[in-house]
Amino acid sequence: MGALALQTEQLLPEQIAELLGLSGVPGEIVGGLIGAFLIANIMLTMTAIAGPWAKRKITAAFTDRIAVNRIGPFGLLIIIPDAVRLLSKELIVPEGVDRPSWDLAPIILPASALLGFAVIPMGDLGPVNIHLADPEAGLAIVFAFASIASVALVMAGYASNNKYSLMGGLRAVAQNIAYEIPLIITALSVVIFAGTLQMSEIVAAQGTALFTIAGVSIPAWYAFVNPFAFVLFLVANMAEIGRNPFDIPEAPTEIVAGYQTEYSSVYFVLFYLGEFIHIFLGGAIMAVVFLGGAAAPIPALEFIPGFVWFVIKIWAFFLFTQWCRSALPRVRIDQLIEIGWKGMLVLSFANLVLTAIIVGVII
Amino acid sequence: MSLEEPLPDTVQEQSADDLEALLGDLVIGREEHINAPGFVIRPDTVQESLRRLRDDAGFDHLSCVTAQEYEDRFESIYHLKKFDDPTQEVSVVVPADKENPVSQSADAVFRTADWHEREAYDLVGIQYEDHPDLRRILLPDTWQGHPLSMDYDQDQPQIVALREHANPLQEDHRSETDSDTMFLNIGPHHPATHGVLHVKATLEGEQIADVESDLGYLHRCEEQLCQNSTYRHQIMPYPDRWDYISAGLLNEWAYARAAEDLNDIEVPEYAQIIRTMGAELCRMAAHFLALGTFALDVYGDFTAIFMYAIRDREEVQNILEDLTGQRLMFNYFRLGGVVWDLPEPRDEFFENIRDYLDELPEHLEEYHDLVTGNEILQLRTIGTGVLPPEVAKSYGATGPVARGSGIDYDLRRDDPYGYYDELDWDVIVEDGCDNYSRLLVRMQEVEQSARIVEQCIDLLEDWPEDERNIQSNVPRTLRPDDDTEIYRAVEGAKGELGIYIRADGTDKPGRFKIRSPCFSNLQTLPEMSNGEYVPDMIAALGSLDIVLGEVDR
Repeated sequence: MGALALQTEQLLPEQIAELLGLSGVPGEIVGGLIGAFLIANIMLTMTAIAGPWAKRKITAAFTDRIAVNRIGPFGLLIIIPDAVRLLSKELIVPEGVDRPSWDLAPIILPASALLGFAVIPMGDLGPVNIHLADPEAGLAIVFAFASIASVALVMAGYASNNKYSLMGGLRAVAQNIAYEIPLIITALSVVIFAGTLQMSEIVAAQGTALFTIAGVSIPAWYAFVNPFAFVLFLVANMAEIGRNPFDIPEAPTEIVAGYQTEYSSVYFVLFYLGEFIHIFLGGAIMAVVFLGGAAAPIPALEFIPGFVWFVIKIWAFFLFTQWCRSALPRVRIDQLIEIGWKGMLVLSFANLVLTAIIVGVII
Repeated sequence: MSLEEPLPDTVQEQSADDLEALLGDLVIGREEHINAPGFVIRPDTVQESLRRLRDDAGFDHLSCVTAQEYEDRFESIYHLKKFDDPTQEVSVVVPADKENPVSQSADAVFRTADWHEREAYDLVGIQYEDHPDLRRILLPDTWQGHPLSMDYDQDQPQIVALREHANPLQEDHRSETDSDTMFLNIGPHHPATHGVLHVKATLEGEQIADVESDLGYLHRCEEQLCQNSTYRHQIMPYPDRWDYISAGLLNEWAYARAAEDLNDIEVPEYAQIIRTMGAELCRMAAHFLALGTFALDVYGDFTAIFMYAIRDREEVQNILEDLTGQRLMFNYFRLGGVVWDLPEPRDEFFENIRDYLDELPEHLEEYHDLVTGNEILQLRTIGTGVLPPEVAKSYGATGPVARGSGIDYDLRRDDPYGYYDELDWDVIVEDGCDNYSRLLVRMQEVEQSARIVEQCIDLLEDWPEDERNIQSNVPRTLRPDDDTEIYRAVEGAKGELGIYIRADGTDKPGRFKIRSPCFSNLQTLPEMSNGEYVPDMIAALGSLDIVLGEVDR
């Protein structure tokens, strides 16, 4: 994973190790495991809120409905019965599925997304710096982890022994290839600005003020520095995580539920979970690369902990995906590929070249 | 207009004798149906006769094929009309031998005959020669006997040997030749079929090589139920169950129109206005649902558009509930009028409708913003599911499907009934021939329906209190003369909804045949989707706006 760079601010595993009075390799291992456990639980809790409750409430608000409101305040406690319901359902294993890969796919999907959070700097909460690891190639690593998801989708689609699943799996590959390249190329344009792949450095590079109007300073977030790249990245990110209007691999009404058609009970929950964590990971990458990581938008609000800002940014992205879901039609698979290869790829390279020229000439 | 039809600008109007001269020695007898001359021809000259009527007399619309059995013969009736003037109608009567009922198929002349003749074979048992694919269509392949034939044994068990029920799918569908196609069952339980339609699709990659619709999952013997019911009261509840998606009053009108013409019943003007208003409210509700489900098919999730469409439909449903006392199965029409007057207090009822109509333009604007103005939706629907007008005509497509293909055909205007010809409204025609055009037609028709409803309530509001006659005098028992036959159609929500009734001298119909617009429209699906992507086939299916209750009856 590359050597951990020395930081002025301690990372979470080091803090835990210090707290436990451990040092050296045992400290790193114990601290790392406990840290990973904590962060995974934070993300799973957010997913639990997002899946059974927030998604319903948000979609209902968009579509003139009420949604859950009986159990607990604002229906929040629906999460518990829903979890029980989902987990207690019968796990139906269709005849002829390709057993090991059929079972592995639902584990790989959420795992790949959770792994991605290892390198995301999630800001401070009091004295605690919620950041597991800060390798020099952080941005590359997070993209690498996120792309493992498409392997899970293909495995699920192919192993299910179902034509709809197969089509979903094939679509997932086509889509991921078409959108991953623009996604990474666009992220590269930020790397040119920041001059590093290290996540903490990218965040730090956005810490200055871009300009000040009437006493309000606009931070140098890359979303403001290069809005064009931000929009490109947003679109490619939506496709990467397979949300509307790019939910082609699932595409209910066309291919039923795509790769997850045959999955039920716990496996279905795992897929569902994986999708939500992926949305959050997508949001986290957006936040780190374009929205100043855990920084407050204006200095006056800096008394609110960075972690809170980070969560707000992730949820803003989640809200955006749900908004698109409620309002946008899905594009057709051939149109999606066309947009990816003919539009996004060209634009992202143009963005990269322009950024390189601007950075090279001006800075 | 197809090139092979040398039609002059004005529609020809031929007398029955002209037509007989045209058909010449093909005619072996004459019959007189109410509002249509009937020509009896030999069963081996069907194609020749229909071709002459189509090419030389302009009867380019095979509206319906009715099959029935008499004591001494079988009979197929081809009900022909003109798209340019549907008031001109002619019945081509083809008797077939009692022992060996064989008749020539009309499929070569009108593509729509394909399914209609399959249905006739399925239910009545007439064999059609030269038919491309004469199989059962509504009943299962294993069914024994033809239920509407005279020697059909109702008590015969339909339990068939296990081998008949063996899995129809072969173990392995890979053919020996090096084909790359994949067979895919879409439905009957699939999110996009909105009902129990089974589409057998052959895919080439993601593109459709061929689709075939498998119907009959919702077949409820509606024709036979009507044949066993009396004209006066018992039949009227059934039409609500054909196109059950809030188009109930439109269906009831189809039966009311046919039965009233058959029995010479007048309908008071006041009742006609109520009928017109109710029918147009139903059309609005039906079109809203069509819009919502089409959005569902293209958008892929329960989106805002679906919920907004349901919201607007709900308001119409509330009005209809006030009017009829029912939300789904209205049973509001009676022969000779309607069952009761507008609800009291009338002012409040009118107020409700007015409030709704006032909001409507704003809501429609919202739909145009969200749906028709959306670039992705345009990308998805413009130029997909193309149905050229000649093809649409040959398949007997009607309603918004035909009007979206540039065919200016609306029975409300072209074959007026009710109060439509007194009101000021327009027929919407779009000539894009694609999914988008059909969507636009429906959305604009909602506006036109709202115009009609508004004019109706203006009239109803000012109607003198002592002239509110909701029903004419209709005898308690209706017994039309033996052997009178009538085919009558109205403009339902999905298109031309026709009813053929043959009276046999009793108080129940001898033969009751329903011409379902969805049945004919659905037949165009392969034309629209072959060579397209699966999502476009789904969109085309959504744009046809079929209701399986009406397809299968």
